[in-house]
Parts: sequence; C-alpha cells; structure tokens
Amino acid sequence: MNLLNPLAFLFALLAVPIVLLYLLRLQRREQSVSSTLLWRQVTMDREANTLWQRLRRNLLLFLQLATLALFVFALARPYVNLPGAASGRVIVLLDASASMQATDVKPSRFEVARAQVRDAINSLGVNDQMTLIVVDGAPRALSALTSDKPQLLDALASARPSLEAADWSAAMALAVAAGAGNDDATTLVVSDGANADDLRLLGGKARFIPIGSSGDNIAISTLTLRRTLRGVSAFVRVTNHGTRDDRVLVSLRADGALIDARRLDVPAGKSAEWTASNINPNVTHVHAEIDEASHNALALDDAAYAINATTATRHALLLTRGNRFLEQALATLPGLRVTRAVTAPLGAQNYDLYVLDGMSMPLPAQANVLLIGAQSVFSTSGAFSNTGYVRTEFHPIARDVDWRNVNVLDARRVNAPGWLRPVIESQGGPLVLAGQSQDPALQRVVLLPFDLRRSDLPLHIAFPILIANSVEWLSPAQGLNVPLSVKPGEVVPVPENTRLRLPSGEEAIAGRRGFAQTNEIGVYAFEAGRAQGAFAVNFSNASESRIAPNLNLQVGSSDAASAPTAAAATSQREFWHWLAVLALIALVMEWWVYQRGVPAVRGKP
Amino acid sequence: MLSEAFLQSLRTLRLNAPRRRVGTLTGERRSVKRGRSAEFADYRNYTPGDDPRRVDWNIYARLERPYIKLFEDEEDLVTHILLDDSPSMFWQPEEGSEADRLAGKWLCAAQLAVVLGYIALASGDRVVLETGSFQRFGPKRGVASAAALIAFVERVSAADKRNLRSPNPAGRSSLNAWLRRYALDARPGLCILISDMLDEGGYAEGLNALGNSRLDFNLLHTLSPDELDPQFTGDLRLKDVETAALQDMSLDDAVIGQYRQRLAAWSGEIAANVRRRGGRYHLADTSLPLEEIVLKDLRRAEWLI
Repeated sequence: MNLLNPLAFLFALLAVPIVLLYLLRLQRREQSVSSTLLWRQVTMDREANTLWQRLRRNLLLFLQLATLALFVFALARPYVNLPGAASGRVIVLLDASASMQATDVKPSRFEVARAQVRDAINSLGVNDQMTLIVVDGAPRALSALTSDKPQLLDALASARPSLEAADWSAAMALAVAAGAGNDDATTLVVSDGANADDLRLLGGKARFIPIGSSGDNIAISTLTLRRTLRGVSAFVRVTNHGTRDDRVLVSLRADGALIDARRLDVPAGKSAEWTASNINPNVTHVHAEIDEASHNALALDDAAYAINATTATRHALLLTRGNRFLEQALATLPGLRVTRAVTAPLGAQNYDLYVLDGMSMPLPAQANVLLIGAQSVFSTSGAFSNTGYVRTEFHPIARDVDWRNVNVLDARRVNAPGWLRPVIESQGGPLVLAGQSQDPALQRVVLLPFDLRRSDLPLHIAFPILIANSVEWLSPAQGLNVPLSVKPGEVVPVPENTRLRLPSGEEAIAGRRGFAQTNEIGVYAFEAGRAQGAFAVNFSNASESRIAPNLNLQVGSSDAASAPTAAAATSQREFWHWLAVLALIALVMEWWVYQRGVPAVRGKP
Repeated sequence: MLSEAFLQSLRTLRLNAPRRRVGTLTGERRSVKRGRSAEFADYRNYTPGDDPRRVDWNIYARLERPYIKLFEDEEDLVTHILLDDSPSMFWQPEEGSEADRLAGKWLCAAQLAVVLGYIALASGDRVVLETGSFQRFGPKRGVASAAALIAFVERVSAADKRNLRSPNPAGRSSLNAWLRRYALDARPGLCILISDMLDEGGYAEGLNALGNSRLDFNLLHTLSPDELDPQFTGDLRLKDVETAALQDMSLDDAVIGQYRQRLAAWSGEIAANVRRRGGRYHLADTSLPLEEIVLKDLRRAEWLI
C-alpha cells in the first residue's frame, strides 16, 4: 500500500487541539450549591456507574481521534496495487459490429464486452489514461485519452452496437493516432474476433479479450421477387452458418399478412432454398422471417424484405390524333393506365407520364415526357434524311433495342440542351434522345424527333421494347434512382425534403444528401413530389452473419509482447472513499454517544 | 418589605395552636395558671384545695352540693419564630447581584417570618423571633411592635449578608446546637421553625429537643426551585456554600433524576420526624408568591385560621 498525498498527514496535527480541548473540557466549572449533602448521596448511588462515566468520556475522545485519523488517512489517498486489465496508456478497441449483437453469451456479446471494458475502466490506476474507440463501420473515439473514470464510463454507456461490419483498418489508424505502439501504451481489443482483420499490425503491447462462445447462426441470405405469368414468385435462401444441422421454420408475409410458411432442413454450413409462387402481383413488399430455429444466436439476419417494384399503377396521358401502334404498345404495358385525348383534358397536371405524339400542351412542372415527332418543347433547325449508320449509346431505354433494320425517312434536327443526350444516333443526327433536366431536379424527357408514320419502326420488335423501356425510365419512382434494397447505414439518394415512413412507423424528412437513417431493418416508404415508392433495408451481410468467434485472434506484433505483460499488469486502486465512509460512521457514533450521554444543554450560564 | 394592603389582610388571621387548645383550662393546675376570663366552659365537683371563690353559689343553693365553675383560659400565646439564617438560606444558583440574592430563598423566608410574627402580634400574642446567629427580637406584644419586627429582620438580613463574605462566619453554630439551646429555656408556646434544614450536622437532635420541650413546634421547610429541580448540567465542581466542600459531579438527566429522588426521600424523612414528635410540617417552594404561601397553602394546612 502506498500513499499519493503523504503531506495530508500534516492534518494529523489537528489531534493536538482536540486533545487540548478535551483536557480543557475536563476543567470542571465550579457551581455553588446550598449544600453538597444530597449530591454526596447521589454520588454514592452512582459509584457503580463512574467507571462507565469515565469510559464514556474517553470513548468520545477516542471516537473523535478515530474520525480525525480516518479523515487524514483518506486525504492521504492511499492505494493498493491490484492486478488489473491494463495500465499506463490504454487504448480500448470495442468491437461494435453486427456480430456483436449475437446472444450466444448472455445478455449479448456487446453487453459482455461492455462489462469487460467497464472492469478495465474501474481497474484503471490513478495515473493511467484510457481512450475508448468503438469499432463499427465508421470507427470513432468515444472519449479522448483521459483518466477521468466517470467520463469514460459515460462514453462507454453511450456506445451502441451497429448493424455494420467493423472497419478494423480505420480503427487501427485511430488507435495508432491515440498512441498505440508506444512503449507505455497497451491496446485492448475487446471483440468476438469474427471477421476481424489480422490485427498483427497493431504495434506495442496489445491484448485481446475474446467475447463469444458459439457460432451457431441461421440467416436468410437471399430474398428476391420475380414477376411470372401468374403473379410474383419469391425466392428465399436460408443459410446455416453454424456447425450444427438445423430445422427452421420460415414464414413469408406479403404486406404484413402471412401467405406461406415452411419448414426447411438446413445442414451445417449449407443453404436451403424455397420458391413461393403465385403471390398477388399487387403486393408492395414481401417479408421472409425465420420463426423457429434451434441454433440461432443472431437475430438481425433472421428477416429479409423485398420490394415488389412493378406494382404501382402509373397514369399516362397520350395526346395523339390516332396512332394504333403507339396505343397498342402502351396498352400492353403492365401497371400503366393510359388516357387518350386529342387536347389536354382538365386535371392534366396529375399524370405520371405524358406521351405527346406530334402534339403539344402546357406541361406541368417536373413532368416526365415522351415526345414523338413534331414537338414544341425544343426548337428545331431543319431536317435530315441520312438516317443510316446508327450508333446506340449505353442507356436504359436502349436496352435490348435492335435498331439495325429500322428505317426512318426523315427526322428533325433538334437544338437539344446539354442534358438531353442522344441515345440512338444516325449519320445525320440523333434519332432518340433522352435526358434528365437538372432543374428542378425531376424532369425526364425521351425525344423521338421523327414521325412514326414516316418510319417502319412500329413494325419492328424494337418498338415495343423501346416504348416499354422509355415508360419504365420515365416513371417518377424510377426517376428518383432509389435502389430497392440497401444495407444498414447506407445513404439512400432520395431528393431533399422527401417524406419517409420508417419501419417503426416514425416519419422522417430526407436531407440534402439523401436519407441516411437507415439503421432499422425493414421497409421504408417514401413520397417525393408525385413519386411514391419504397425501399428495403436488409441486413444481408454474409460475413457478419458468420458470427463464429475467433478466440485465438492474433493481435499485436509478437506473442511475447501480449500475453505475459498483460498478466503482470497491475492497477492502482484507491480506497479513500471507504475511509471517508468509515470516518463518517465514526462521526455519527461520536454524536450519538454524546447525545445519549449528555442531555440537551439547558440553562447554560 | 410588605405592602400595607397585604398586612391589612393578615389582621383577620390567627395562628392555630391545636395542642394548646385542648385541656388547658384555668384551674386545672391551680398555682401555675393565673388567667381569668368571662368565658364559661364547664362545671366540675369541688375538691379540697380549690379556691372557694370559684364555687358557684347559686348551684350550691339549689342542689346543696359545691361545684366549681370552669372558665376557658385566655392566657396569651407566646409565639416563637426561629429563622434559620445560615449561608445556605442565602444561596442562589448563580453568582448574581445583591438584588438577585435577596430575591431568593432568604427573602421568602424573611418575609414569612415577618408575616407570621405580624399575625401573632396582631392577635395579641407575645412574639419572640430568634435567628440561627442568636439574634433575638422580643418578646414583644401588640401591633405596635410590628414596625420593630420588620426593622429587626432587615437588620439581620444586612448583617448576615456582610458576614457571608467572610469565609467562616463567626458566632454561628450548627442547626442542632441552636435548636437544643433554644428548647432549653423557651417558654411554652407555639414555635415555628423556618429553615431549609440543610446542615452538615443533620437535624434529628434539634427536632428531638424541640419535640421534648413544651413547645408546640412547626417546621416551615423552605427550599428554592434550584434545590427542588436543579437546572445545571455538565461536568461541574459543586461547592458547598457553608462548608466550602467540593464535590465533582457530571450532571446528566439520570443524575438529576437520582437527585430528585434523594431530595424527595430526605424531605419525607424530615416530615415524618416532625410529625412523630407531634409537630406539623409544610414544605414551601420559595419561588411561589408570598401571598400564595400565606393565604392559600398555610390556611389550607390549617396553620392559620
């Protein structure tokens, strides 16, 4: 045992005035009485008690001195050296990757790791410092290098496990920045070791605290939807990442309603597949979930969501003087309701798509337009007829379009703005242009600058494909470029001010750089202007689903540096708190003895 | 010392001397009692030696047998007031001013002495007042002597206060010695002892002497509230004002409680001693107003009628 503040023993000199006061107190006050006759008799009665009287007085002095001694001792800040996790400068790397949410150790790997770190904090010596780095997809230091234990404990309490894989190289960079590798620094890696990169590069003293016991985990690794002739079919793949065969119950829900459930035998290390067909094509999303499994430690990957992308009914306004090919091509497209008109009808603002076949109308803002033939949106400068030698750009609307045998008699030369790019270009000029206006963000245009009747395009197989591709590309939801499925933490590029409904039912508004709060697994519905849609956040992370702990993870540059020094590490444990509590108890006892012994002072002279 | 109105209210009172009233009739002991009065009491048979002048001749004429007519004796009472002026009677719990000192036990005792003396004088008795320091007043009779009585008590107060300053006041004997000496040559009568009875030598012998004398003795036991219920606590060195003896005490509630028990036992013992010798005992708390002690407590105890 040692002392941090031996000078505090100077306070022990206070014992001198206490003893002096005590001696002064024994100088009895003289009080005249009419006669000591009766008092002598009382004294005789009390003779038996005088020993206690004297002892009580001494007890008071003893308690006062004991209180002082305890206080002084506490002020001297004594400490003992106890074996601790680490000392000196300690850098803690706390794994917060998704696999740390596994429950093979109770209550969870992350909570066990948190408890380990808490122990390490509590065993910190007086001169030791610690920094706490949480290692998830974006590792960060929760607390700077400090010896302030409450601050460290607060930082530790604020740590949350993430849904992402850990970025160990970034974490190592942070650790090095905090001083890992220095002689007095110890790096403490608290992790399950699953998917951890080789941490040998970590310099200096390093120690690995393994968390976790078993790697048993069943995951839904794939869920996809496919449109078939009779609706939609869902493909589910369940993977057993553990070492034991399992029989799991998988349920499938469409828009929340159970549509099918099946028991699947999943051998260890293998997958089992299941295709559920004949799902109503109008469902917005499908949800597969593992309901029962014997050896399943991680719950995050037990559910998967798939968005049925082709469900939304779009409304198109076709302004034409009559074009059977075009009308037929549009009518066969699923999910598209076409209104044919000669002039723009009332309420023309509310269409998802405008098809102007050689006609013009005032277009609402952010309209998606398919312009065919003569148009008034863009100026033209003459016509051209050398439409051979076609070059096709790589563009969604040109996918599977075979233009080789298409003949166009003549086409107008369009003074297209920069954003309207040629997709199919002939020798004389572009025959198909497409582009997305930069302002106000959402206006997609597909332009065919020739009259269909002056071309044999409608007779070719390329025509319905081109129309279908164009309509798909022009539909507002597509215009947002929102992926159907993202990983947790990924930023979804929805436009600013898009309203979103999270899986939890909360509402959110997207910011300038899209929506980043994708920390919840499930379906996110959104609404941006006239566009409505949904995307799913799926765990679908095969590496994090492999939660088998790697308890023999090699950390640090050499074996010699890690194990023995870690075992020998000691920390200075102060215990002045207990001394202060004891001093307080002694003080209370002193007061109590005094109160019991001498009644409340009355009539003091 | 006392208000005129209070003195006026005392004029209707008389000291009650129960033992003397029964059987002290004129003629019972011929040669000793000389008193005559007109108050007829009884008849009795004539016996040889009786004064022939006392024979009721009218009865003799009617019954032809001599009877002696008895009259109630109206001999005046000698009232002895013994006022203890030992230092303990002057004691105050705190070293205060002279005025405080006078306002305590002594003032009450001195006033009681004056009041009882005044009542005796006003009812025509002869009064003797003697203090423990052997200063004597009287015997005097008649209300006219009241002023002299008051002056005497005031003189004694002043003299005793002066004496208090000397550590061992001369001319003071113990309570026992004083009472024994007084009982020796006291004329029969009513005796009232005003004292706190606090004396190193005890009180039993003195009470014996008084009880065996022809005095009809009463004890007015005066104790101050600080003696009845001490208010000082802590570690004290108690100093006896009479003997200057020191006594170390640590006073707490338990000790004070024991003191009160001792005090009750002690005063009960004194009361029993007095009653066994045919006397009467009254304990007066000197913090009570004089009027209350005299007009209420002493009348209720039938010391005054």
